[in-house]
Amino acid sequence: MNPIFPAGDFTLLAIIIALPLVGAFVNGVFGKRLGKEAVTLMALSSVGASFLASVYTFFALRAAQTAEQAARFHWHGWEWMRLSSRTDAMGAGSNVPIELAFSVDALSGTMILVITGVGLLIHLYSTQYMRQDEGYHRFFAYLNLFVFSMLVLVLGDSLPVLFVGWEGVGVCSYLLIGFWFHEDANAAAGKKAFIANRIGDFGLLVAMGLLVYYCGALDWKGIEAASSSLAQPVKYWPIGTHVPLAAALPESAANWLNAPRYASAATLVSLALFLGAAGKSAQLPLYVWLPDAMAGPTPVSALIHAATMVTAGIYLCARLAGVFVLSPAAMFTVALIGAATALFAATIALVQNDIKKVLAYSTVSQLGYMFLGVGVGAFSAGFFHVLTHAFFKACLFLGAGSVIYAMHARIHDTERSQDMRHMGGMRAFMPITFATFVAAWGAIVGFPLLSGFFSKDEILFKAYTSSVVAPGDGKLHTARGVIDAFVWPSWGPTVLYGMGVVAAALTAFYMTRLVIGIFFGSFKGWTVVPHWKEPEGDPHAHEHAHHAVEEALEGPAPKESPWQMTLPLVVLGLLSVFAGALNAHALFHSHVLDTWLEPVFAHAQSGIKLVENEEALAIPLLIPSVVVFLLGAGVAYWMYLMAGGEPARKLASAAPRLYQLLYDKWRVDELYEETIIGAVDSLADFAAAFDRIVVDGVLARLTALLVRASGGLLRLLQTGRVHVYALSMVVGLGGLGWFFVAPHATASLERNDGAGAYVLTAAPGLGYQYRWYAEGEQPQDFGQQHTYELTIDKAGDTRKVKLEVKNAFGRVDAKEYVVNRAKPDLSGLPLTIDVGQGADGQLRGDVRPQPGAPQ
Amino acid sequence: MTAGNLFFMVCTVACVVGALATVIASNPIRGAMGLLLTILGIAGMFLQLSAQFLAAIQLIVYAGAVVVLFVFIMMLLGAEATGKELGAPKARVARLVGAGLMAVLGSVGLALTALRPTLTRFTAARPEHGSIEAVGGDVFGPALVPFELTTALLLVAAIGAIAVVRARPTARPPRSPELGETKRLFVGPLHPRDAGRPLSKESRS
Amino acid sequence: MNMLGKVLEHYQLVASVIFVIGVVGFLARRNVLVQLMSIELMLNAVNLALVAFNRAHGEDMNGQVFAFFIIAVAAAEVAVGLAIILNFFRLRSTVDADAADSLKH
Repeated sequence: MNPIFPAGDFTLLAIIIALPLVGAFVNGVFGKRLGKEAVTLMALSSVGASFLASVYTFFALRAAQTAEQAARFHWHGWEWMRLSSRTDAMGAGSNVPIELAFSVDALSGTMILVITGVGLLIHLYSTQYMRQDEGYHRFFAYLNLFVFSMLVLVLGDSLPVLFVGWEGVGVCSYLLIGFWFHEDANAAAGKKAFIANRIGDFGLLVAMGLLVYYCGALDWKGIEAASSSLAQPVKYWPIGTHVPLAAALPESAANWLNAPRYASAATLVSLALFLGAAGKSAQLPLYVWLPDAMAGPTPVSALIHAATMVTAGIYLCARLAGVFVLSPAAMFTVALIGAATALFAATIALVQNDIKKVLAYSTVSQLGYMFLGVGVGAFSAGFFHVLTHAFFKACLFLGAGSVIYAMHARIHDTERSQDMRHMGGMRAFMPITFATFVAAWGAIVGFPLLSGFFSKDEILFKAYTSSVVAPGDGKLHTARGVIDAFVWPSWGPTVLYGMGVVAAALTAFYMTRLVIGIFFGSFKGWTVVPHWKEPEGDPHAHEHAHHAVEEALEGPAPKESPWQMTLPLVVLGLLSVFAGALNAHALFHSHVLDTWLEPVFAHAQSGIKLVENEEALAIPLLIPSVVVFLLGAGVAYWMYLMAGGEPARKLASAAPRLYQLLYDKWRVDELYEETIIGAVDSLADFAAAFDRIVVDGVLARLTALLVRASGGLLRLLQTGRVHVYALSMVVGLGGLGWFFVAPHATASLERNDGAGAYVLTAAPGLGYQYRWYAEGEQPQDFGQQHTYELTIDKAGDTRKVKLEVKNAFGRVDAKEYVVNRAKPDLSGLPLTIDVGQGADGQLRGDVRPQPGAPQ
Repeated sequence: MTAGNLFFMVCTVACVVGALATVIASNPIRGAMGLLLTILGIAGMFLQLSAQFLAAIQLIVYAGAVVVLFVFIMMLLGAEATGKELGAPKARVARLVGAGLMAVLGSVGLALTALRPTLTRFTAARPEHGSIEAVGGDVFGPALVPFELTTALLLVAAIGAIAVVRARPTARPPRSPELGETKRLFVGPLHPRDAGRPLSKESRS
Repeated sequence: MNMLGKVLEHYQLVASVIFVIGVVGFLARRNVLVQLMSIELMLNAVNLALVAFNRAHGEDMNGQVFAFFIIAVAAAEVAVGLAIILNFFRLRSTVDADAADSLKH
């Protein structure tokens, strides 16, 4: 073991996490004064150093990991807080400590390599891409802060720490989507992302609560150790004993409504977790924010909305695989929603013209694949796709950014500069961008032997061959008897596999269309003039001029981007091509990644059932993948390159409504707008009307009236003459003096009706002397005794006591106090009457309150 | 009649005459001299009450600093500070009522004090009573914190006096109606269709 | 007569007289300078009473220490008060307390 960083106190984790935070702090606070060079240096060096430390961590993990034993390095910061869990059967409440602790294992060790590695490349890329932006330092502060939050998310040793990072990346995503917030649409997109994520975060919070309740732990090790307690059945319906108002319905309907329904705790936890994951990873029905998130700068889209943040949901599912596999129902939901998202998003991507929008929907679709993989229990396959997707999608986004950067030579309108109808023929102008883009294209469409081919095929293969079985005997033992747990449907594998294959065909089609639209054909952005010169005068004049003389727009040939942008492209392009070798076991029996991650998922694998002889199916299941790739890419090639887009136009005019529906993204945004946002809006309108009429109209006016009236009265007292104020002070002084000069014979009474004992205590004063005498007694001399005790033997009796007080000036005051002992109030109390024979032979009833009744 | 009795009588006369002169003199310079006389008388009484340290302080602070300050200010203000007082009738009524009320209250209080049946005779004082060592031991012992706070008070008073004398009323810069960049990011419209709406109350005005 | 100056009540009487003269002066005079001097009179009267009480109950020095602090506070008060008077005179060209009525308007 390494002597510098022992496994139990792996301080390097703190360094990995803290470096980007330092960068964010310096750039955010001092960035404006530091200048661009210093900001660049700070941002790159902090992420770069973090990357080097991650590489070191990775190799240390490799050295520590054996086939049987998963390596895991810890760094424990401090105890953050302590929750009390539910009391156990013995009645003892258990404490759930929440530590600010970080740990790294094979899964998170690979993730941090991606985050810091791809992050570093994108930082480098951004130094060029954002060069002209006046918010340069702000951009890098946000970007560094994002890397920090993402590292917290991945390295956190418990759900609350993960949640901190989870929210942190959400904030950074919001800030970066709305980076150019001077345009309202961008700010609105940021808020949309934030709010859609809030819904998911609600799920994550609920999951945390459930885990505290059922497992009594929130750290990974504790959850895994206590996961067996998640198999217990939980009644989730009806809430309480019955559905309110159900009695008004017909009896059969009421019975059906009131019938208790059970699910295992694992199902509830997993579904709540998946809600969180679906929000962050843009799955149905919460995917709507991700396409709008393209309003941010393109490097942001590459880093946050393609490579890292959106895969946090998959990371969460993989991290808590041990919980998910306990619930086949939740797993099937995950797989089904993943497959549906993959298919759904791919259909929208078919017809979009904005190149970033196409890539955004493609990202949603690929995330769907990952969830399909995770849902069928192929955690390492899903994670393999996370890895390859990070490479090729980042490459695609950065390539698109490079193209947009070139387009900005003459077109400064965001929408037009991203529209592929204005591009074309870029192959000749930007050879490096073209080559890397095609490499990434090959990876995403599943060109044989490239990385995406292996990772996607792995998921499809597992979708067809795996299913999840419930733990134990597959039954839930509830209070109402034994019920069967969810069983993986027999049609499941076929349907999931079919959806995946169709989505793959669509992917091949739209990605080919994208590549052709950008790089092939003739350039349609402006007329290329060989020795074109920037017009004299205002350098930004053409920005406004191009609307007026759109047809006559001329400009130089688009240029290849500088090395800061092409270097990341080349690195990522190479990775997109070769990363498949990590896990290419369909053809080459290479299991590097599987072996590496095996100890992490060993616990979860027990719930996964494979079909018999599944290895023999590997090659046959590859064939449809290759066929649909050839089909999709071929059709797109024929439609857009050979026939010049004519068949596509014909198809669109043949089914204009369907085309429009797809172009409008199935109008899901409009649906949400009408239903959810409309409902919230009308609630807000009602509240606003209430505020206007009741609060402002009535209450505020009443208050104002009251204040004005009392103010008018008090104003009469304010003469503004110092002497009048001084006079009022003298009057007050006189009153105070009078109070001290006159004695006050006041006393307080302490009652104890039960015992009949009473204590009178006289109020103290300046030089007071007291004397007490009861009715009929002779007064004694004045003394210092200020309390007087008396007892009254019988209830209902009354005694009179007189108090005289003499003060320092010799003045005397007297007062009489009447004390009566109240009869016990027995009305309304449960009474017992003991009837017995007394000593004199008479029957007597003794009435007394029942034991436990208040006396 | 011992020397002590005589000394007390002299001090009493000095106090009362000085106080009356302070209040009655129409020329404040004479009033300041009356104040000085009272202060001297009270310092003498301090001596008789074996508070030697306080007597010295009384002379240094009051006679040496406060009265001198008063006289300086009067010299600075000149003849206008010593003008005759007329005043509005209302204020005069308030003054007379207040003064009369206070005189009545004072005499009642005096009567109550004077008519006490027993008088409290001083016992022999401890030799160190009122010495610098005794007072200083208390000031730097149990009363150390308030004593240190007194330094802050005096500093603040000095700075405050300078600030008040130097103060010139200036107009405040008006608040900018535009929101800051960061704030706008958070209060901006949620939805594009709200873009026309005013962002917040500040920008509406 | 030879008890003169050896009895607590005598000092109390003198202190009360000075205090009442101070209050009446504060109320009756309109010259702010004289009012401020009247306040000084009152503070001095209180100091005298405190020191006299301390002499009568002479177990500790609390009364004298208290008087000491009052002298410090009075010094601060005079400094600030005179500064205010100076500024007031600049503003209104008079030291008449009745001229200080800008809060009213």
